[in-house]
Amino acid sequence: MDVTDIQINTYMTLNDMPFITNTVVITWGIALLLFALSILTTRRMKAVPGTLQLFMELIIEGIHWLVDKTMGSDKRNFAPYMLALSLYMLIANLTGLVVVRQPTADLNTTFALAAITFVMVHFNGFRMKKLRYIKGFFEPLPFMFPLNIISEIALPISLSFRLFGNMLGSLIIMFMLYHFAPPLAPIIGHAYFDVFAGVIQTFIFVMLTMTFVSLAME
Amino acid sequence: MYVLLQFILDSGFDWLAEQDPMALLLASSALAAGIAMIGRIGTGIGQGYAAGKGAEGAAVNPKSLRQTTFVMLLSQAVTETSGIFCLVIALLLLYANPLLGSAGTVIVLVASTLAVGLSMISAFGPGVGQGYAGGQAVEAVSYRPRFSGPILRIFLVGQAISQSKVVYALIIALILLYANPLI
Repeated sequence: MDVTDIQINTYMTLNDMPFITNTVVITWGIALLLFALSILTTRRMKAVPGTLQLFMELIIEGIHWLVDKTMGSDKRNFAPYMLALSLYMLIANLTGLVVVRQPTADLNTTFALAAITFVMVHFNGFRMKKLRYIKGFFEPLPFMFPLNIISEIALPISLSFRLFGNMLGSLIIMFMLYHFAPPLAPIIGHAYFDVFAGVIQTFIFVMLTMTFVSLAME
Repeated sequence: MYVLLQFILDSGFDWLAEQDPMALLLASSALAAGIAMIGRIGTGIGQGYAAGKGAEGAAVNPKSLRQTTFVMLLSQAVTETSGIFCLVIALLLLYANPLLGSAGTVIVLVASTLAVGLSMISAFGPGVGQGYAGGQAVEAVSYRPRFSGPILRIFLVGQAISQSKVVYALIIALILLYANPLI
C-alpha cells in the first residue's frame, strides 16, 4: 500500500474536471461482477436449485424478509432496489480487503447514493399523499417551514458523510497500520475496519433508506 | 487571579511573535491532535454503560447470555465508530496536515488547525448517547430475548441518527482542513 492508494487517481479529465478516476473504474468492476452473477444464476434456473442458485435465493429471501419487516409487505416492490444497493455497497466496502481504494471512501459515490434516497423519499411521499405531503412541511406551525426544509436537506448530507467518514477512516487507519505496525498486525485491522465497519455501515444505510421512504409514504 | 492576569498581559505575547511561523503551525497541529482525542471521553462512558447493562442482563437472564453478549459487543462497536472519527482527525493532523503547506496568514492557519481539534470534542455527546441506547438495548434483549430482531433494528437506526452529530463535526473539520474558505 502506497500514498497514491489513499489519493483519488484521475486517469482522464473532461473540461478540467476529473472524469475517470479509480473510483469509477472499481465501480465498473463491481457492476460487471453483479451483472455476471445475475446472468449466471438466472440463465438455467431449476426447480431443485444448485449451489449458486440456492445461495442467491437465500439472499433474495433475506431482502424480502427485511423489506416486509421494515416497510410492510405492501411495499415489496422496493426490494429489487434495496438488494442492488446493499450488494453494491457491501462489495464496495469490502474491496479494502484486497488493498484497493474503496469506491465508498469517495464523497462522489456516497453522495450519489444518498441523492437517490433523497429523490425516492420525496417522489414516493408526493406520489402517495399528493397535496397532503406538501402540507406536511408547514406543520406543526406555518413558520416552521424553513426548519423543516433544513431538516430534509440534512438527511442526504448525514447519510453520505456517515458512510464516507467511516470508509475514509478505515482507509487512513489501514494505511497507518501497513506502514507503522509490525507484520500481520493489519489482519486485525482488516477484520474490524473493513469487514465489521463495512457490513454495519451497509446495513445502516439500507435500513435508514427503507425507514425514511416508508415514513414519507405513511 | 487579577494580578496573575495583569502579569500575563504586561509580559505580553512577544515570545509568540518571535517564533518561526512554521513552528507555530506545527505546535498548533500537535495541540489540536491532542484536543481532538478529548471527544473519546464520551465513547468511553457510553461503552462502560453498555458493559454495565450487559452484566445486569447476565444476572437477570443467564439463559440468554450469548444473545446479551452479542448485543453488548455490537452496541459497543457501533459506539466506537464515533470515536474513530476523532482518531482519524488526530492522525490526519499528525501525519498529513494539509494546512502546513498552504499560503496564508499564520494566525488564521493556526486558528483553523486548533478549530479542527476543537470541533471533534463534539464526539462526546454521540458517544454517551449511543452507549446509552446500546445499554438499553442490552437490557431489553436480556428481558425479552425472543424480540432481539426488532430491538436490534430499532437501536441500530437510532444509534445512526445519534451519530449524525459527530458526522457534522467531521464535515466542519474536513472543510477546515481541505477547503478552508478563510485563507
